[in-house]
Amino acid sequence: MCECDRCEQLLQSFLDRQLDEWERAEAEEHLVRCSYCRRRYVFEEKLRMYVRQSVVDEPMRPELKLKLAALRVEL
Amino acid sequence: MSETEAEQTDARRIATEARDRVRFEEEALELADQVYRVARHLSGSREEAEDLVQETYARAFRSWRSFMPGTNLRAWLLRILTNLNIDRGRRRQRAPDVQSLEANDYYLADRLEERGGPISEEERVDERLSQDSIVDALSEVPHDFRDVLVLVDIGNFTYQDTAQILDIPIGTVMSRLHRARRILKRQLAEEAVDSV
Repeated sequence: MCECDRCEQLLQSFLDRQLDEWERAEAEEHLVRCSYCRRRYVFEEKLRMYVRQSVVDEPMRPELKLKLAALRVEL
Repeated sequence: MSETEAEQTDARRIATEARDRVRFEEEALELADQVYRVARHLSGSREEAEDLVQETYARAFRSWRSFMPGTNLRAWLLRILTNLNIDRGRRRQRAPDVQSLEANDYYLADRLEERGGPISEEERVDERLSQDSIVDALSEVPHDFRDVLVLVDIGNFTYQDTAQILDIPIGTVMSRLHRARRILKRQLAEEAVDSV
């Protein structure tokens, strides 16, 4: 297996921060050297960032918080 | 044990249980913003998300005894939420075109490349991605795949926690996540190319 295949295998888990220290070091080392994988990494990272940000603008309404608190069972 | 002693023991037990319950409810309510965030992404609208969150909390408060203290309360709440979401039959989306998804994992970049020459610089892709297009594209990802994406990306859950919440093997979490991102990229590619 060439290094890029291995990097591809690690890429998604790397981006989702699910790798152990050893695997992370392996992926990072390859990313430093390989511009193709680095480009993919940057792209995938941006995609995740957009997904994360796409909900930030709509916080829960205070009314809902009150409704939830009202659901508490009477002692 | 005398009758009075038995009564006292009983009273202490009731008091302890009441304290535990109040603590549980307070901790659950502190997580409401995070639970809502996930619900908002699993649902089509704010109203649906609010219903789902209310139903989740109503059920959680009723069955608080089945929560094991010391375990992950956020995961426990989201497990209720995702199950309710499934029960409500919110799976009316069309099945994904699986075959074309297998073709290329780097679909968006490739489509943009076809259209506008090589994208050596990430800015070009960036320019064409917008917040709105992500929201639209996400809504096109079928629920089974989107649930996983939302839990990992929005909920910041590990693959392991996500597997527990959805009650599926960890390998399935990874494959659904991969599939969800492919669909997302394909949708974005189509939107981006259409808007050029």
